Amino acid sequence: MSELKTEVLIIGGGVLGTAVARELSRYKVDATLIEKEVDFGWGSTKANMCIVCQGADHLEFRKEYHRSRLVWESMPLMEPMCQELEVPFNRVGELALFFNNSGKEKYEKMMARAESRGITTHQLLDRDSLRRLEPNIAREATGALYDPSIAITDPVRLTIALAGNARQNGVNVITGTEVQDIKAGAGGFEVKTSQGNISCEFVVNAAGMAVDKVAALVNADDFIVFPIRGYVAILDKKVSDLVSHEVHARPEAPGESNIITPTVYGNLFIGTPMKLARRGDDATNREMAVVALRNARRLIPDISEKDIINSFAGFLMFRNWELGWHECVVNTSSTVPRFVNVSIGFPGVSAAPATAREVVKLLSREGLELRENPGFNPYRKAITDFTNLTDEEKRKLIASDSRYGHVVCRCETVTEGEIVEAIKQGAATLDGVKFRTRAGMGRCQSGFCSSRVTGILARELGIPEEEITKKGGESRQLLYKSKELIGGRE
Amino acid sequence: MKLQDVDVAVIGGGPAGIAAAIKARETGAQNVVILERAEKMGGLLYQCIHNGFGLFYFNEDLTGPEYAHRFVEKAMDTGVKGLPETMVTGISPERQITAASKGEGYLTFRPASIVLAMGCREKSRGALGIPGTRPAGIFTAGTAQRFVNVEGFIPGKRIVILGSGDIGMIMARRLTLEGAEVAAVVEILPYIGGLIRNEVQCLHDFDIPLLLEHTITRIHGEQRIEAVTVARVDDGKRPIASTERRIECDTLLLSAGLIPENELSLMAGVKLDTVTGGPTVDETRQTSISGIFAGGNVVHVHDLVDNVSWESELAGESAARFAMGGKGAQGKIQLKAGRNIRYIVPQTISGQNKVTLYMRVNDLEEGVRLKIGNIMSKGLRVVKPSEMLKVELTPEQLEKLKEGTSEITVDCERRERK
Amino acid sequence: MATKEKLICVGCPMGCLVTLTISSNKEVAGITGNKCKQGEKYVLEEYLHPVRTLTATVLTQGSLQPLLSVKTTRPIPKTKSLPGAIALAGLKVRPPVKAGDVVISNLAGTGVDVVATGNLLS
Repeated sequence: MSELKTEVLIIGGGVLGTAVARELSRYKVDATLIEKEVDFGWGSTKANMCIVCQGADHLEFRKEYHRSRLVWESMPLMEPMCQELEVPFNRVGELALFFNNSGKEKYEKMMARAESRGITTHQLLDRDSLRRLEPNIAREATGALYDPSIAITDPVRLTIALAGNARQNGVNVITGTEVQDIKAGAGGFEVKTSQGNISCEFVVNAAGMAVDKVAALVNADDFIVFPIRGYVAILDKKVSDLVSHEVHARPEAPGESNIITPTVYGNLFIGTPMKLARRGDDATNREMAVVALRNARRLIPDISEKDIINSFAGFLMFRNWELGWHECVVNTSSTVPRFVNVSIGFPGVSAAPATAREVVKLLSREGLELRENPGFNPYRKAITDFTNLTDEEKRKLIASDSRYGHVVCRCETVTEGEIVEAIKQGAATLDGVKFRTRAGMGRCQSGFCSSRVTGILARELGIPEEEITKKGGESRQLLYKSKELIGGRE
Repeated sequence: MKLQDVDVAVIGGGPAGIAAAIKARETGAQNVVILERAEKMGGLLYQCIHNGFGLFYFNEDLTGPEYAHRFVEKAMDTGVKGLPETMVTGISPERQITAASKGEGYLTFRPASIVLAMGCREKSRGALGIPGTRPAGIFTAGTAQRFVNVEGFIPGKRIVILGSGDIGMIMARRLTLEGAEVAAVVEILPYIGGLIRNEVQCLHDFDIPLLLEHTITRIHGEQRIEAVTVARVDDGKRPIASTERRIECDTLLLSAGLIPENELSLMAGVKLDTVTGGPTVDETRQTSISGIFAGGNVVHVHDLVDNVSWESELAGESAARFAMGGKGAQGKIQLKAGRNIRYIVPQTISGQNKVTLYMRVNDLEEGVRLKIGNIMSKGLRVVKPSEMLKVELTPEQLEKLKEGTSEITVDCERRERK
Repeated sequence: MATKEKLICVGCPMGCLVTLTISSNKEVAGITGNKCKQGEKYVLEEYLHPVRTLTATVLTQGSLQPLLSVKTTRPIPKTKSLPGAIALAGLKVRPPVKAGDVVISNLAGTGVDVVATGNLLS
């Protein structure tokens, strides 16, 4: 890259940064998005439970609470956005369980309050109605607060689609580029990155886990956020029949939930409450699994440790509890003009659509000229999803391109054709293929398909197999060629 | 061969599937087809370049590829049709198969009978729940074996192996002979998980440290693995924190468990045994669904490929008979796992015909007596969970069964010392 | 005075624990504990000259298949395993090769040939 001039620089290719990029591309703005990883959504976006419009925000909604209002405004925008971008969106509905009368009363009060503020989606269910919806629910639950509007999605796929659509509509989207320093001047900013220098007039700081550090580079850090971490375990698809709604039970403090939820692909997620942790320490351990299982069994008793096929730790930057449960950082810096900080905490995915619009408004107020882009196309085609085609469609597809007849990932039924599509779309790593196609996310966790995917990546990218990485950088999978260590190669 | 005329469809073209298909043809089935997902028949045998195969079946010491070749040749000679690069995506309880094939397109057909021979998968890092970060450089032993023996890559130069299963020990030797250093094989039990032969020839021969009663408590490294922390475990298999130490490495291989791959079996509605993880079968290897048979590692994880072949021949023969209108064995005598018996395959027998029982014990014991109900008993010097036991019951022995017996308990009892 | 040597027979994956009775003039007088005929042969060899079949891969040239699997036609002294692997590392075989073809003779001075265990057709 070395030297680049742009009007608006968006730092961060997670769900918020890419949503802003797409929103900006509705206008004739010269915008550039940079992301430090080699692919999109690999920070907080990829490590959460994929729930859209969490109940907490409904029940505690007040329009004067910033974050709460952004989630509220995003609600009607989420489904159309997913449809335009061909990203899965599934209204599974949410059940907030209670186990006694005092729990029930608490929910009744919250429901009445929410109704008075315009949220009328909730219903109170008694024991029998609850069991009709979820026969496997814990016997101890005496009822639940039910919200059928709650949905699930695939945040990484959404982020990739947002980035792709923004690029389609003229945004310069660059990966593998990390911000190293920012200097503020009269006319704009000089941003030093790992790939060269960028001069811009406006900065949108959506750097996720590094949002405060990026702001600090230019003294625009007039906010405090803390790293909090949660743990998510993925359960085998064969137990997916156990529950069909997102189910949780809220103890006293926010962020202390027990939770179990379906995913859009038919797995189940269980998780632990989020806690303060050392930034970037995403190592998992046994205690987390124990806690997650114990918590989830309070809701659905029939799950067990052997159903876990994988797990991960998820981080996000959160505002101090004391500052307000429903606050966030979406504002122009009070110290540096034309520098907009964007940090939601959670639910980042749910708040993305309205946050993107608000950021554009903030930029406009800072002097960004917004002229409509008449060529803006909100639609983006997704990669073929072989598993969701009819038999006839599968037949036709394989007949037209035999690569769709070659199933590479057995566990998730992902074909070579889809993997090639993903690579053409920008996947250049094993994880890149995984997040776009699900190859490697099944119960064998890429045991069978990883050698084939590595071969296909090498072939399509025209590079040697040993250069293929898991997630960019130094994460090569194969360090040596045969006989290199024992001696024998020229 | 037209797909609508298929008599026996075999799912999986490894040693189990090929043996079943050949026997099906030899029994008289006309149209026998094997559906195999990999690029060629033979399954994982082609990446098992070591020897030790066929000592009982062929009375020769063969390597995996040689053993596979014998069967693949014979399959071609007996007129079995093989469909490689063909992945079965579904089986209905009515035996309707759907499959995606690179060469043949999208297939849907209903054969007269099915043999399930899908083998097993390895337990992944995620399934094992090993604590720590998620860097590159972590492989299951079988996946690493494919890279090393087929694709031409060595994953790293300083290896730690978790689990002393056979594949892990064999890879320890293989990687040493490719110039890598195997820093340790870490095993949670007080004895190895695989065969003694491999402990001697793979670990002792090369002075590779075997850490028994140890486990990995943490994986380190962000992009690529840098080290693991190991610790000794107590009687309850819990890590003892004060014994933790760090072993530097750039690669971690996992050889800590094989799971029969029964996703298709579940789709077909076949009943699974929760202990073996595979379908419950009778002595003909018929599953709970009439016309669907199973053999090999998909039923229970074997140690010797020779047994895989023999067991699968049963399945193939029975599938062929079924396709030709025959009846399976009558009568259902349940085999119950008694003292120190983990499981018995087949789970039910007729009691009329000679039958071979395969079983595994739960714990290592010395000086035992295996008792099959009141039919027969056998003294054994040592029994180990990692070594399958095989007992043949003759019709004469079965005659000892009382009329109307519905259950036989198999016990592994301690022999009395005099 | 006869002594007893216990050895694990490694003729096959069963790994029978075999006992050899060694007579006072250092001759093998008896062998017990093996489950198959091959076992007797193996244990004698292991006691007198420990040997191993070396199985390995060799690089290919002019083929889409990167490797060819090979083995020694008979076991070689245990101490020659690693030198044998090093000697094989320098080989490059060209198609066509059939299973059973010799890819190198007298591996690492053992006098034993190495043959292909698979085919390299193109």
